[in-house]
Amino acid sequence: MKSLYVEGSGLLYRLPVGLKLGGLMALGIGLFLFSMPFVPGIAVALGGALYFSLGLPFGEAVSRLRSLFLTILFISAFSLLFTPPMEVLVQVLRLTALMLFAATVTATTTVAAFMEGVTAAARPLERIGLVKADDMGLAFGLVVRFVPEILSRYEAIREAHVARGLKVRPVTLITPLIILTLKEADQIAAAIDARGLRGH
Amino acid sequence: MKTRDLVLIALFAAIIVALGLLPPIAVPLIPVPITAQSLGVMLAGAILGAKRGTLAVALVILLVIVGLPVLSGGRGGLAVFAGPTVGYLIGWLPGAFLTGFISERFVKDEQSAFAQISGFFIAAVAGGIGAVYLCGIIGLVIMKGLPFFATLVGSLTFVPGDLVKAAIVALAARAVQVGYPLLPVRR
Repeated sequence: MKSLYVEGSGLLYRLPVGLKLGGLMALGIGLFLFSMPFVPGIAVALGGALYFSLGLPFGEAVSRLRSLFLTILFISAFSLLFTPPMEVLVQVLRLTALMLFAATVTATTTVAAFMEGVTAAARPLERIGLVKADDMGLAFGLVVRFVPEILSRYEAIREAHVARGLKVRPVTLITPLIILTLKEADQIAAAIDARGLRGH
Repeated sequence: MKTRDLVLIALFAAIIVALGLLPPIAVPLIPVPITAQSLGVMLAGAILGAKRGTLAVALVILLVIVGLPVLSGGRGGLAVFAGPTVGYLIGWLPGAFLTGFISERFVKDEQSAFAQISGFFIAAVAGGIGAVYLCGIIGLVIMKGLPFFATLVGSLTFVPGDLVKAAIVALAARAVQVGYPLLPVRR
């Protein structure tokens, strides 16, 4: 699985992840304070300039945000029924600006840097005994490792259906997929404990 | 937390991600093919129970935050959280929890197959439709200033598809419960 990070260098790449996320949150709140289209309009222009100057091929840059942008437009068309057009315009600009800035942060932050930020944020929870911060990293790695395996297992089960002349149905497909996958849990857990990956 | 629980949570998160990568499945009764990802959310609660199911969903959301394209259609990254429909994604957490919570209490080993399937179905509808829609609609109201009731009516168009999903979840969860039970037992 390929992350949405885009190789590059520049100021945005060097900022600490906490600062970027904090800035994004501040922007989200800040944009809600303005009810005229002017300020969110500038934010869209700035966010667009940042996002499209990251060096991502133009087609790829657009396709990443297409479905999200269409959702914004679709919901806005619906809200035109209840809200004055000027207000809807401000909402569209606001969400589009946030979307562009958020996509920029995602593209300029490596998964490793994000994980560090998440682990650091989880430390206080660890102190009150809710989660173990290191477990999050381990679970994260397991997911990335097993997605391709589950996909190929899905394909195998589907082919088995076809080979036996059975109709491919969601229930008969999902049930063996889940049982086969979860049955591995004991073995994987034993392997993790045998290597002492979680410490004691 | 036992290592086995941690692994089960991670594996189920991987299943939810994988279901989002599959091409949409055609099902009888409804015209549009359904995406299987929200099915995975209900399944997480129904199969792993409230706590582990919710953590599996939380892990998927964590993957979204750190920029992996794990949502159906290859969506991911922080931009998702600027979308007006983000409430539905957040709603996965209480959705999986409620599905698990009800399953743990309503589904028992000594019940007939029909009673078990009904229990899972009620749980999936309450969590996967009730809780998820409620969060999604609240999100739309906050982010777009839409009136609550009209948004509720507008989102009813998606209910038939999700009822079919809840039925698939009920059948699959019951089959897993028979083949490889993991749901924590309650009395």
